[in-house]
Amino acid sequence: MLIITRHFGEVDLDEDKIIYFENGIFGFEECKKYTILFDNEDGERPDISWLQSLEEPLLAIPVVNPFLVKEDYNPEIEDELLKSLGQINEENTVVLISITVPADIKKISANLKAPFIINSDTRKGTQIIVDKSEYEVKYCFYEQMMAHKASKGGM
Amino acid sequence: MLALSRKINESIIIGNDIEITILEVKGEQVKIGINAPKSIPVYRKEIYLQIKEANKEASETSPTDELLKQLFK
Repeated sequence: MLIITRHFGEVDLDEDKIIYFENGIFGFEECKKYTILFDNEDGERPDISWLQSLEEPLLAIPVVNPFLVKEDYNPEIEDELLKSLGQINEENTVVLISITVPADIKKISANLKAPFIINSDTRKGTQIIVDKSEYEVKYCFYEQMMAHKASKGGM
Repeated sequence: MLALSRKINESIIIGNDIEITILEVKGEQVKIGINAPKSIPVYRKEIYLQIKEANKEASETSPTDELLKQLFK
């Protein structure tokens, strides 16, 4: 099916790439169908993907693997809150967190407080709020990431 | 908005399975106990609003930002 996206124009999407968020996501409760898109220009998958709404072309949220930002990320989540996703296990559970990029890149932040949890088998997803108070809505990680890169000799 | 007066240890029942109890009143602070099925998420409102706002802000990110691309390379 053809969908209109915020960053990638018209995309021909396989039906099996649609992820259904029964309750939408916070602030966009009416948008329930999403897919994950990424820039394939360099031939390899970049670390940033986009959670793109199928119902609202302008809605696309940049998401990353939380471990990129916080190595020991380990939110506690009530099983009941994930029940609607169907059987989940280590293999089929995908956790993503959104990032926010203000004009000053150094102020880039990740939302550790409200991860997206997706069951890749049932293709159902949900966004939940984790209790742990140390997980911030705006977790700044720029300096730490630069330091990590420097230690790997990447930059 | 429905306003009900309650005393300590008195409760309010919402629907069939949500019970809200006043546990403690200390000056300006009230401690509330909530008994609800685990499938019903309960949020502090200010956090709930922050998360809504964070999703909106995140969705305003531009993908063409070279600095952003480099950061995640």
